[in-house]
Amino acid sequence: MSETLIRLYRNFFFRKILRVAVTVFIVSTLTFFIVRLMPGNPIDIYISSLMSTQGMSYQEARQMALAMFSIDLDAPLHLQYIQYLSNLIRGDLGVSITSTGTPVAKMIAEFLPWTLFSVSLSLFASFGIGVALGMVMAYRRGGIFDTILTGICTIMSAIPNYIVGILVIVFIGIQWNLYPLETMRGTYTSTITPGFTIEFIVDVFKHVLWPFITYVVCTFGGWALSMRANTISTLGEDYITVAKAKGLKESRITFSYVGRNAILPLFTSLTISFGFIFGGSLLIENIFVYKGIGWLLWSAINERDYPTMQGVFLIMTTAVVLSVTIADVLYGLIDPRVRRGE
Amino acid sequence: MRPILSIKGLSVEYLSPRGRVKAVRNVNLEVYKGEILFLVGESGAGKSTLGLTLLKLLPEGIAKVVGGEVIYHRDDGGNLNILKLRKGRLRRFRWKEVAMVFQGAMNSLNPIMKIKDQMYDVIKDHGVRLSKREAYKKIEELLAMVRLDAKRVLKSYPHQLSGGMKQRVMIAMSLLLDPKLLILDEPTTALDVLTQKNIMNVLKDIRDKLHLTMIFITHDLSLAAELADRIAIMYAGSIVEVGSVEQIFYRPKHPYTHGLLKSVPKLTSEIGKLESIPGFPPDMINLPPGCKFHPRCVFRRDICMEKEPFLQKVEENHYTACWRWRDIFGEE
Repeated sequence: MSETLIRLYRNFFFRKILRVAVTVFIVSTLTFFIVRLMPGNPIDIYISSLMSTQGMSYQEARQMALAMFSIDLDAPLHLQYIQYLSNLIRGDLGVSITSTGTPVAKMIAEFLPWTLFSVSLSLFASFGIGVALGMVMAYRRGGIFDTILTGICTIMSAIPNYIVGILVIVFIGIQWNLYPLETMRGTYTSTITPGFTIEFIVDVFKHVLWPFITYVVCTFGGWALSMRANTISTLGEDYITVAKAKGLKESRITFSYVGRNAILPLFTSLTISFGFIFGGSLLIENIFVYKGIGWLLWSAINERDYPTMQGVFLIMTTAVVLSVTIADVLYGLIDPRVRRGE
Repeated sequence: MRPILSIKGLSVEYLSPRGRVKAVRNVNLEVYKGEILFLVGESGAGKSTLGLTLLKLLPEGIAKVVGGEVIYHRDDGGNLNILKLRKGRLRRFRWKEVAMVFQGAMNSLNPIMKIKDQMYDVIKDHGVRLSKREAYKKIEELLAMVRLDAKRVLKSYPHQLSGGMKQRVMIAMSLLLDPKLLILDEPTTALDVLTQKNIMNVLKDIRDKLHLTMIFITHDLSLAAELADRIAIMYAGSIVEVGSVEQIFYRPKHPYTHGLLKSVPKLTSEIGKLESIPGFPPDMINLPPGCKFHPRCVFRRDICMEKEPFLQKVEENHYTACWRWRDIFGEE
């Protein structure tokens, strides 16, 4: 029996999965308590919003709120925690407090695809543009193209994405009126019924355009600068001189010898970035009212919707931890030097 | 004898923040078909720079050919000015006519490609008309010639091979297109003594089987005794003496060569009899006037400090760049 356990523990993949499970458990426990340490609870927030919007007295508002939310926030914390865990094990993320009766899992399923779509699109574009630019910059290092672009990339990767987002809305949307504001903001036009129709797909792309541009503009610089540095160091390797001496075609040297070696370290960052997709670009989604998981999290935080917050955080941590693990395994596949036991 | 390569008045400089590094200075040298020429000198003497120039591989923007030319004499009688070759023609010239084995055995191979694919890339990019099976047959033959187990090596990645194996892979790869001239730039330097011996034996095999012309660059004069037909001694960027193995080893006519020979241990020499050349190699940016060796030379006179000597004929095929060789060593 114990021998089987030891053999199981020695298994590479089992150990990786075990590590993922433990990390996710610890993080979800922490979020459970941290979320409840935030000032105010969902009922208080709802009461104050009723008081300010409907002009109710505190007593009236409180009674209405209690009737709305069938939760007992006065139960001892440890009992709530045990309840949360036992639900979680059964795959039940709970029910939203503020959107009464909607299961958290259903909300995530509704919002997550939009984030996955928009951010992975942006991530691929940004990575592609960055890698291509980085290589060109490295090949022309010291030249005017390289000097200007290095400057631009440094500035771009230093500007926070919400500032670019706000500038886009203020200038492109309002001041210069270059793009209709109602298309710039939102996920899709509500009058079009969702489905696999050309009209809907075009509409979706029109809406994703500016969040996409904002994301790409703020991130391609980082990829480009890393790729530039990697390419320059690869160009200095002996095997590149040898490849030239061998009379290989320039395109082959650029792609198979320089490119492939220079891009290797970036794959780890790319895979890890995929994990962070699930967190969405919280601020970008808010500015553009793009209803993805980041937007959901934002509104859940504002309303102190504990189960929704916990659910989103759980998805996010799982994704990040998984992607780090996948990056680890994947690197072994693409770089023969770290491949295990041959 | 017909030359395969003529180096005429070649000078190469590196641009450095401190000034111009005169790495190769006015080198004149003929390489004859079928011979093994050793280029011997201390590190920094410009041997490797000279080697890289022969394939036009100098790092662009940093190194500059400031004078001279390198003429490659093709089998069909045509001449190629290597330094004037551009893109496509240069690419097809490299490895097909002149191949090179480099110093860094550890880093000469692309770390993320199997040996098989790196070998095949050469055949593919040079448009050699061989079917895949014929190509691999040729590759396997060459690997056998360098005493490697083709089955194992071909499917390996570079990190799975030892330094000596990698260097032998590089030697096999250099022979893939049947080049007429092979440049070996310190091919054994990074390897241990036994592996060195191994590589030297492999090179002897190649000499006996293929009769190709080789330029062997090294700082180790004792290797020349094993393999060389002719030796050119380099000092401070120029050739100070050139001659056959016998001439250089038994009748050196330059104080520097003489010093080098005395610093090589022999089986018969007594303990403690090894001598070294006093002083240090010169600063290649601010070279001394006159003979570049004069600050370290015990035979120097006024003329050595004023005028740089040129190569003078000592006997058939033997030249030395010393003003006083007659006084020091006497006529033959």
